[in-house]
Amino acid sequence: MKRNSFGYLVVVMTVAAGLAFSAPAVAGETYQLGMSLAITGPTSDAGNPYSKGVEDYINFANDTRILGDAKIDCPIRDDMYETAVTKRNFEDFLDQGMIFFLSYATGANQALAPDFTEVQIPVIPASMDSSLMKASPYIFLPIASYSHQYVGVAEYVATHHKGQGTAKVAAFIHPSAFGRAPLADFKAAQAAGMKLDLVEVVEHGTDLDNSALLQRLASKGVQYVLCQTVQSPVATLLNDAQRLGMAAKTFGEPGKITFMGAHYTGGNDLIALAGTAAEGFHWTTSYRVTSEEGPWTDWQLAMAKKYARDDKTANSHNYACGMMAAQIAVEAIRRTREAGKEVTRATLYDTLNQMNGDKAFESLLAVGRMTYSATDRMGVDRVQLYVVKDGVFRAVGEPFRLKYMK
Amino acid sequence: MSANRFLATGNFFTDYRQEQRIFRTHLDRGMFVVFLACLFAWPLFFEASNRTMLVINNILIAVVAVYGLNLVTGFAGLISIGHAAFVGVGAYTVAGLARAIGATHPLIVHWWPLMILAAGGMGAVFGAFVGLPAMRLKHLYLAIATLSFQMIFTWTIKFMPTFNQGQMIPVGRVSWIGGTVGRNNHYFFWYYMILVVAVICGLAVRNLLRSRYGRCLVAVRDNDRAADAMGMHPGLTKVYAFTLAGFFAGVAGALHTYMFRGAGFESFTLHHSITYLAMAIVGGLGTLPGSLLGPAAIYTLELQMEHLSEWSGTFLPDSFNLATALRPLGFGLVIVLFLMFEPRGMANWWRICRSYVKLWPFRY
Repeated sequence: MKRNSFGYLVVVMTVAAGLAFSAPAVAGETYQLGMSLAITGPTSDAGNPYSKGVEDYINFANDTRILGDAKIDCPIRDDMYETAVTKRNFEDFLDQGMIFFLSYATGANQALAPDFTEVQIPVIPASMDSSLMKASPYIFLPIASYSHQYVGVAEYVATHHKGQGTAKVAAFIHPSAFGRAPLADFKAAQAAGMKLDLVEVVEHGTDLDNSALLQRLASKGVQYVLCQTVQSPVATLLNDAQRLGMAAKTFGEPGKITFMGAHYTGGNDLIALAGTAAEGFHWTTSYRVTSEEGPWTDWQLAMAKKYARDDKTANSHNYACGMMAAQIAVEAIRRTREAGKEVTRATLYDTLNQMNGDKAFESLLAVGRMTYSATDRMGVDRVQLYVVKDGVFRAVGEPFRLKYMK
Repeated sequence: MSANRFLATGNFFTDYRQEQRIFRTHLDRGMFVVFLACLFAWPLFFEASNRTMLVINNILIAVVAVYGLNLVTGFAGLISIGHAAFVGVGAYTVAGLARAIGATHPLIVHWWPLMILAAGGMGAVFGAFVGLPAMRLKHLYLAIATLSFQMIFTWTIKFMPTFNQGQMIPVGRVSWIGGTVGRNNHYFFWYYMILVVAVICGLAVRNLLRSRYGRCLVAVRDNDRAADAMGMHPGLTKVYAFTLAGFFAGVAGALHTYMFRGAGFESFTLHHSITYLAMAIVGGLGTLPGSLLGPAAIYTLELQMEHLSEWSGTFLPDSFNLATALRPLGFGLVIVLFLMFEPRGMANWWRICRSYVKLWPFRY
């Protein structure tokens, strides 16, 4: 008899414990997101901190109950920069009931764009390629496109060049559409009135020495090299320019070449690769950097500390990119819930399209407000120029809007 | 041959014709028919997710591509490390045309079987062209020649506006009896189409190997001087092997484009060429079952490594990124172990299983 009572007690306690642990799960809804990106393979240097940014912000949203008793589940999968794997991950997430997709590479986004349109799912990509906005109305760029950032650098040169006549520039670009599309927009801006003399276009290879290239550019009187590529070729170029004594340490230094670039050319990884040769490099992006004092730096570093990230990740602008992508998704869900609507792909899409005017979203991590509408798929449309000074990026002036590009 | 063609328990061939039969016994034929029926019927009884269908379709496409690679590397003994480029030629035949005439042009979406054949033809033309150095080159030198083709292909796709400079070229949804194949049926539809193509190609390869042309490949591989003395033309045989390999690769490429609804250069890089080679080696070079087993094994291994990496990421220290390293490490290790302990590939396991079952119930 005694043994039986003990048995009942065990059963009752087990059931009670089971109910207690299952209670939070049934109390609030769980929203299914999904992210596929290159944590290994090509561009993983950017993808890795990006994934940590997404992961940390989703954990933060759940921990601080931004959505009340509702939770977000956002599995993050490595696609090794392979479109086929991204597609597989996407289909898997859809099977799990995904309502918002966080994507990565330009190629994968282009490949999946027809699917995004068909299943009508809002997507925030890590790629800021302007072609994505045309590929599907469901793709929302978080910040200014590569083209905007590149033309932004060019406009800055056109406006601030002090020498006589029109500034002579060379384009140093990635040998792919990633490099060529912004160059095409640069030429369109020239046609629209931007006064710059494009002397030469260089599609770089994997050269380990750029001495001949630099000598040639100097002989043609090039004063500015505008880069649209990734960090490592820029670092090689900067190192060679420093060795040859050709790199300007201040903007437009006479007799020297000022090196400038957009988004993926800069960041702390460039400083790590180029060392002192990075001094004087000018860079545009729409993100804040942790080398500038401000509430965004405190917040980003606090987030990294809270989730035990190393210094490199904590100070990476790619970490900020990831956090902001997750922020947009969480904010869209929050607003949809607040409006008393059911959170679905369709309502999230509507919410994003209404994110303008008074309803524009302000993130600490970007230099401007984020606005979307049925005709505007680019979140932050302002860019900030930074320059490397004493081993860190410092802001130059205020964020600005482009004159020659809409 | 045994008088009883239902249960042969030994080798009773009395002439070459018997030896060259596709199915040695009725049991073999019956098993094959049942296997084929299962492949066609299972999606009707089990509901598979899009992800699962996508994986299976990828395996089947790789099977078609590896048929070709196995012909050139396994049967003809010519190393090719540019096979993904041949697949790319087929893919870009469809995608390039779609870019020129429109993604939803009737030729693309209605006459897609013709497009698949045309892609195979284009692959064969490129295969023949790339195979020309094989008339003079052997071994590593030939490998470098195929590698060059891989490089030239990548460069061409990435630089030519005709191919959208390597960016994705979309292809419309195809039509079938009853209208356009929608998203809900897309993977299901292509499963059957790719399966049909894979079966036809498999039978074609099997038949080829029974013919004098197939035997030529093996003869040239084993000793090209002896083959020459026997009246074969080793040079032309090698070019012909590359042509066939190009055809199968081209067909696989077209299927890839239709299944993924577009083509981008990322799917046809050197990495993919190496992966195809790994599939052929793990499956078993110079064997037809190897072309089926290799892709299945490599894809399954890749998926398992993904799961292992994801699972280990939950407890391994984040700062070292060990979880992400596990995947390539594990993948590489399994292939190396395979090469060390079973160089004849999985086809050898299949052979052992078959010979074990073949003698039943009179094993000893």
